[in-house]
Order: sequence, then C-alpha cells, then structure tokens
Amino acid sequence: MDEEERKRISIRFVVVSLVFLALAGIEGILMRLRLMNTLVEFFDEKHFYSMMTAHPFVGVYGWAYMAVMGAFYFLVPYILKKDIYSKKAAYLSFWMMLTGLIAVWSTTFLTHYAPLYTLYWPIPVAYTIIGWDLYSILAFGIGVGLILGGVLVFFGNMFATIFLPARQMDGGPASPWYIIKELLTTAFNLDKIKAKITGIPQYTSKAFNYPVFVVAVFRGCVDTTLNAFVIGGVGILLAAFAIGNLAPSISLSTSMVDPLVYKNVFWWGLDLIADGNVLIFTAGTWYLLVPLLLNRTLYGENVVRTVILADLVVSLFVWNHHMLADTPQPIFLQIQGQIFTWGELLTMGLTMFAVLATIWFARPVKYNMPLKFVLVSITGYAVGGLAGIIQANYASNRFFHNTQWVIGIHGHIQLLVGLSSTLFAAIYALFPLLTGKNLSDRLGNIHLILWSVGGLVMGLSMGLAGTLGMLRRTLYPMGLGLYEPYMVVASLGAFMMATGFLVFLVNVLKTVKLKDLLKIIF
Amino acid sequence: MAPQVFIEIVYFVMISIVIGFIIAFYIITRKRGGGRPNPANEGHAEKKGMEKGEKRWLIFLFIIVVVGNILMLSPILPSSQYALWLKEEPKITITIEVRNYEFVFPEKPITIPAGVPVEFIVISQDLVYGFGVFKKDGLMVFQMQVVPNPYVNRIVWIFDEPGYYDVRSTEYSGPKHPYLYFPDAIRVVGG
Repeated sequence: MDEEERKRISIRFVVVSLVFLALAGIEGILMRLRLMNTLVEFFDEKHFYSMMTAHPFVGVYGWAYMAVMGAFYFLVPYILKKDIYSKKAAYLSFWMMLTGLIAVWSTTFLTHYAPLYTLYWPIPVAYTIIGWDLYSILAFGIGVGLILGGVLVFFGNMFATIFLPARQMDGGPASPWYIIKELLTTAFNLDKIKAKITGIPQYTSKAFNYPVFVVAVFRGCVDTTLNAFVIGGVGILLAAFAIGNLAPSISLSTSMVDPLVYKNVFWWGLDLIADGNVLIFTAGTWYLLVPLLLNRTLYGENVVRTVILADLVVSLFVWNHHMLADTPQPIFLQIQGQIFTWGELLTMGLTMFAVLATIWFARPVKYNMPLKFVLVSITGYAVGGLAGIIQANYASNRFFHNTQWVIGIHGHIQLLVGLSSTLFAAIYALFPLLTGKNLSDRLGNIHLILWSVGGLVMGLSMGLAGTLGMLRRTLYPMGLGLYEPYMVVASLGAFMMATGFLVFLVNVLKTVKLKDLLKIIF
Repeated sequence: MAPQVFIEIVYFVMISIVIGFIIAFYIITRKRGGGRPNPANEGHAEKKGMEKGEKRWLIFLFIIVVVGNILMLSPILPSSQYALWLKEEPKITITIEVRNYEFVFPEKPITIPAGVPVEFIVISQDLVYGFGVFKKDGLMVFQMQVVPNPYVNRIVWIFDEPGYYDVRSTEYSGPKHPYLYFPDAIRVVGG
C-alpha cells in the first residue's frame, strides 16, 4: 500500500466516523427532548430505549474507534517509516466495522430491541418476559460480533505493522505467536524484568526502541484487544442463544449464565475501553502532537513510557468500580476497585503534567487549532476524571450510582470534551497532511468554543440533576419536577455542541469540495 | 445538608480551580517568554529519571490518593458507616420480592422507626432491577443493584428523618423500567 492509498483509507475512516458522530448527536438531542416529555407521540418507551441502545455503539465504536483507526492507519506507518502490514486487513476492518454498526443500529431502529449497551444478563435474552424478537437478538449479536471482529482485525494489523519487519524486506518471522510474544514482552516490559532477574545491569527495555506514540498505541491496543474479546464474545453469546432457541428441538434457559459472574467479566472487558481507547490513546496522541507542534522533545519522555505501562496495569484491575452497588459482590473486591481507580489519578495526573510542562517550557507559544484542542481535552479529562474519582468510591456510590452525575459529568464530559477534543486536534493536525489544504482558523475557533463550552454546560447540568437524584436510563412520565431546569440548560449545551459541529463541517466543506472529498475516498 | 450536595460543592470548587488554571496557563504561555531551550537542540538528552517538579507533583497526587481513600472508607459518610463500621445488628428485616416488573412489598407503606438499623433484602426472580429510596423532593437516600436469583441483595440503613419515602427501581430492566416507581412506599416514624 503506498502513502496515497494509506491517506485514502485514513480519510475514509475519518469521514465515516464523522457521519457516526452526527448520528450519535442527533440521537442524543432526540433522547434529550423525549426525556423532557416532548415528542411523546413520536417515541414510545421502546423506541426511546432502542435509541439509547444504539447511541453508545454509534458514538464509541462508530465515532471514537473509527476516527482512531483512521488516524493510526496513517500515523503508525508514517512514524515507523514502513507500510501497513496488510492492505486486505485494513479494508476488512473498515467493512466489518461499518456492516456491524449498520446491523446494530438498524436492528434497534427497526425492531426496537433495547437491551442497552450494558447488556446485563439476562435482559438481552429475556425474550419471553420483555417480548424481544429472537431474530432481533440474533441480528444484534451478529452486529456486535462484527464490530468487535473488525476491532480485532485492526489491532492484529497494527501489532503486525509495529512488530514485524516490513514485508518488502522479506525477512523475519511472521507467525502470530512471534507477534504475541513481542507484544507481551514489549507491552509489559517483560524483557526488563528478565534482565533484572538474570542480573544484566543497565538494560534498556525494548519499549525504548519505539517512539512514545507507538508505545502508547501498542499498550492501548492490549486493553482494547481484550475488550474486543469480551464484548465480541457477548455478541456471539447472544447470537448463539437466539439460534439455540430458534432451533425446533433446543430450548436454552437464561439460567445457563450466572448474572453476577457475567457482570464481572462484562465490566472487566468494557472498562478496558476507558483505559485503552480513551486514556492511553489520548495520552499517546498528546505525546505525539504537542512535541511535533512545538518542535521540541516531550518533557520527561523516559518517564511517560513507564506511566503508560502503569496505566495498562491499573486498567486491568479497575472494573469493580462498576460493581460498587452490587451487594452480593465480595466487599474486598469493591474496595480493591475503589483503590485502583484512585490510581488513575496518578497516571493521568502525570500524563497531563508531562504535556503541560512541554508547553510551559516552550513559551511563548503560538497556539494553533490542534494545540488549543489539546488544552480543551486536558480540561475535559480533568473535569470528567475528578467526577469519576468521586463516584467510584464505596461510600459515595450509594447515591451517585446510575444517576445523571455518572453519565453527564463523568461520561459525556470525558467523551465529548476530553476524548473528542483530542480526536479533533488530530483531525486539524492531519488535515493538511492528508489533503494538502488548511482549515480556517476563524471557523476552527468558533467550533472549539461552541463544542467545549456546550459540552461542559451539558455535562455539568446533567451532573447537578444527578446530585438531586435524577437517574440515568430513566424516563419520568409523571414529569421531571425538580430536575427540569437542569435538563433545559443541558439541552442548550447540546444545541451549542451541535452548532459547533456544523461549523466544523462547513469549515471542511469550504476547504475541500464535497466532490473532491468523495473522489479521495473512492 | 445531604452528603452528595456537600460533595458537589467541593467538586465545583475543584473544577473552578482547574478551569481557571487552564485559562491562566493559556494566557501566560501565549504571551510570556522564558521557556527552556529544547534539550534535543542542546545536544543532550533529558534526564532519565524524574525531574524535581514531576516528583513533587507525584508526591502531591499520592497524598491525595491516600487521604481520599481513607476519607471515603471512614465512617464519615452514612453509607460507609452502615456498611463497614456498624456494630449493631439490624433490628428489623424487610424482604421485598420482585418478579415480572412487580415489587411485592410486605406492607403498604412499610413502616419503620427512625434511628434503628433496618435491613432490606431484595430478591429478583427474573431480571436485573435496582432498589433506590428517595426523599419526597427526589433526593436519593441510598440504592443498590438487584442481581437476580440465585443472589440475595442486602443493605442496612438507619433513617434519621421521619416522613414518607419513595421507592424506585434504579436499574434498567426493559422498556417498562420507568414505571417501577412506588410513591410513599416507606413511612418512617418517631425520631
């Protein structure tokens, strides 16, 4: 694959990811209006919850994952100065993601299948009680399996690109076992541990052979690969359950799966997105963009490799902060979850410090759009991360769990102001490299202000309602009462963000004509 | 003041500092010079270990982590006090069964004396539900997840204010979830 083709596949991923972001935004606004008991005649509860099921899949896998994939398909070969390992796998991952997302979205839209992204057993398969259709369970399960299958193909391709010699060189081992061995050795510093045990002094671990950004890519990919196995496995489980019950002579019972064990495995896998895709990839992108834009080395570059490793290790033990309200869960696990979650304050705090120190020592700084978006992203992670630390405690979780606090201040501010701003920073930085043209700074500034202020207003208002007791995933058919003013302000924030996104689209289409963009993609 | 409202105030003070810091950082780094030369341009690599500032920041964060965990596990909040530190055995046990979107309460309303440890046992025969107790103005008092059979979900609470309380399922269990709302399900007397 030559550089032009890599650019094309990268743009294809990014354009589709922006379509999914728009879709997730429209869904978010419609759900918000329905939550305020408007549009009642258009959306019954089933329709509302089916939209709520599709929304995170579209937002996380459609927008965030596909944008990350697009950026990495261009950046990793660009930085390592070698080609993507497999062109076929690159296209396969695109089509698997796209068809999987279309399957999930259309199943929920057409059949109103609504297990929500949490998929708590036995809700997704309790068809006799809730009234799901077995074919919709099957289609949804296949869709989830395809999405996560696409994720696995992408990460396999990334690992092979990073750890194998370039194909043209026609040398070196190409077996999957070699890649797995190299990955585990480098990701977890196993070579360094071995050197310590065998008494080799002054050993420098293999991770130092790679740029910090690439270290963040493969360490983050460990998390997201494990996530893909778990969530993809859930998709296959749902599909298998549906097939089993559609077959005339078989009847599978919901009791075949233990609900608490399932919930533990599910959250262990799902929370790895938060660390792999969100925190580690974000850190890697900051570590790449900030030194590049300021033309200087990253502050504490040697330390941040260890910080990424610490983040990877911590991420494997934080799932219990989702189980703090489950009283049958052993209490020592809940307290362990709380303590490890606080550990993320150390890793993310050091990441932010390294980035801010790099900027600080480069002053006076000429801020361009990517750098401004990085600052907004740091703000988003600080505001959302602090809320996360507050709710992830054994004691405070009793009144924060499942409230608008969790999804508003923590979830949406982290994802929209934190992660999405990093993705926008990457898009603004990559745009000239991919298209040869620059986006307008004036429109970029309007986008930045509307997006960041709107995101904070929306998330904080939701959080305030959550403190008063307003639940997430809950409609209030009898009226919102005390919570209503907060939801009005949250809606204003959402409309600000939507306007900011439209300004961004205008900026893109003013710079590159739609016709030319389509020509690049196809 | 309800504990969550106090926490919210502390949180808003903290994020005001964060946002104020970022704005000040942006203004200062944009206008003022005084940065360091790039170590790579000076022909030497950066120090392998941590710099002094980074070490101090790590120590500061570590102290916050230790203090935060101690506070959150101490009896400072009623939820941790009743779950981790209460020596008194529950005087009353209330068992609630849930099946097919119906909460079966032992009596309506459940009458409980104030100031006495009460154990709530909630058992679901089919789906995942939630069990949340709310004041009449909507403020949440406590909640727990209801994991279905074979699990038994228990929580001990001491009500200190007399009056009526609402019960609501706090976890999604299908599209009928919003209707799992039971106003005035609990009445606390005395105190």
